[in-house]
Amino acid sequence: MENDKLSRLLPDDVDRKEADSLDATWRMLGAIDAPAADSDRMRARLDAVLDAVEHAAPPAPRRWLGRRDLAAGGYAMQGLAVAAVLVVGIAIGRFVVPDPTRPADSSSEIAAMRGEMRELREMVSLSLMQQQSASDRLKGVTWTGQLDRPSGEVISALVDALIHDPNVNVRLATIDALERFASREDVRRATIEAVDRQMSPLVQIALIDFLVKTNERRSAPTLKRLAQDPQVNDAVRSRAAWGLQQLG
Amino acid sequence: MFTESDGTVTDETLMEAVRNGDLAKLGILFERHHQALFDFLVRMTSSSSTAEDLVQDVFVRVLKYRGTWRGEGRFDTWLFRIARNARADYFRTRPPNAPIDEADQYPSHAPLPGDLLARNRDVAQLQRALMLLREDKRELIVLARYRGMKLEAIADLLGIEVGTVKVRIHRAVKELRDIFLRLSESPSWKTTNSVGSCPTT
Repeated sequence: MENDKLSRLLPDDVDRKEADSLDATWRMLGAIDAPAADSDRMRARLDAVLDAVEHAAPPAPRRWLGRRDLAAGGYAMQGLAVAAVLVVGIAIGRFVVPDPTRPADSSSEIAAMRGEMRELREMVSLSLMQQQSASDRLKGVTWTGQLDRPSGEVISALVDALIHDPNVNVRLATIDALERFASREDVRRATIEAVDRQMSPLVQIALIDFLVKTNERRSAPTLKRLAQDPQVNDAVRSRAAWGLQQLG
Repeated sequence: MFTESDGTVTDETLMEAVRNGDLAKLGILFERHHQALFDFLVRMTSSSSTAEDLVQDVFVRVLKYRGTWRGEGRFDTWLFRIARNARADYFRTRPPNAPIDEADQYPSHAPLPGDLLARNRDVAQLQRALMLLREDKRELIVLARYRGMKLEAIADLLGIEVGTVKVRIHRAVKELRDIFLRLSESPSWKTTNSVGSCPTT
């Protein structure tokens, strides 16, 4: 390595004897090894983030459970996939082979099928969001983007993830997912609460952007406090000051 | 310059593509730089799981702030600047040894440096001395010794003159040697050292 010799890195006026003595320490430093990175795991985490970002907006119709989802979720996810196939199969069966004993009422059938599909999607999202692996939880949050009218349970799970999830990436994805529900009072209150409680500057900045975007004036005292607190990260402080200006 | 002399696409070109929305290119930048970043961060934090989380944080920041990339400097310097900020933010709100995020759920599969070096008492002592060194001094040593960064690159990264880098490296290594010698002379080290317990080689 280029810097193996310390003397090249020292000021010219350092005494030769002193330089030699320090060089011994410098060379010994070369024997301190460090653990190797777990590249596969780290790459998988990055891929999960990229996947979440690419699918975050707008939530376009996408594949149902793919091979990667099954691999990530294990048996529970496989069970859900089987259930999904079953529901779809039953629904298709009802249309293709009409039951002669029942009156033909296709609109209610379609509505029922849609309801079942929605419940299933919700179940998959909620199940993923409860997984131990951060990348699974990230998928769960992303999946909520596919729900047209998510139930209160899903929104509560998102709010809970925003405040309590230990993983920064999950919390960031949650903010994006909650944007659709910004008109809800519980979501607005949760974001104000979260901006104060967050440890991650990245999440704090994203929350400030959210509050500005939703014109949440009740957050002004919180933003003011953040903008004036010298303990707060510089970037967060200046973002909070900017947010205050925007909210007028 | 879009490619190196061997035809490889430069980091700067890849980052420009990421900035313009080709997010898949971030994967190539990750492959090129994650090991160097991990090595820097694990030597600074002494924790594999923390270093791993921080590498993740760095690339998320690159993604989030890709619009701020101006292509005016070297990509790796920009990346290490983000890494320094990520590390500082990380420890600003936590004591260095507190369990962080999912560290408990992501146990390190690789042994910590101390475990690796337990068989060599002198080296283990030096490692302990390194961890006792003030953070800014340790950072200089890590960048120069382990990352092999040129003085100019370190100066650019830290926003100081090359001459100042030299002076600070001198002071840092001198202090490291002094701590090392003090540890060697300490009788308690011979019976209860916290880094390794193998016999002297």
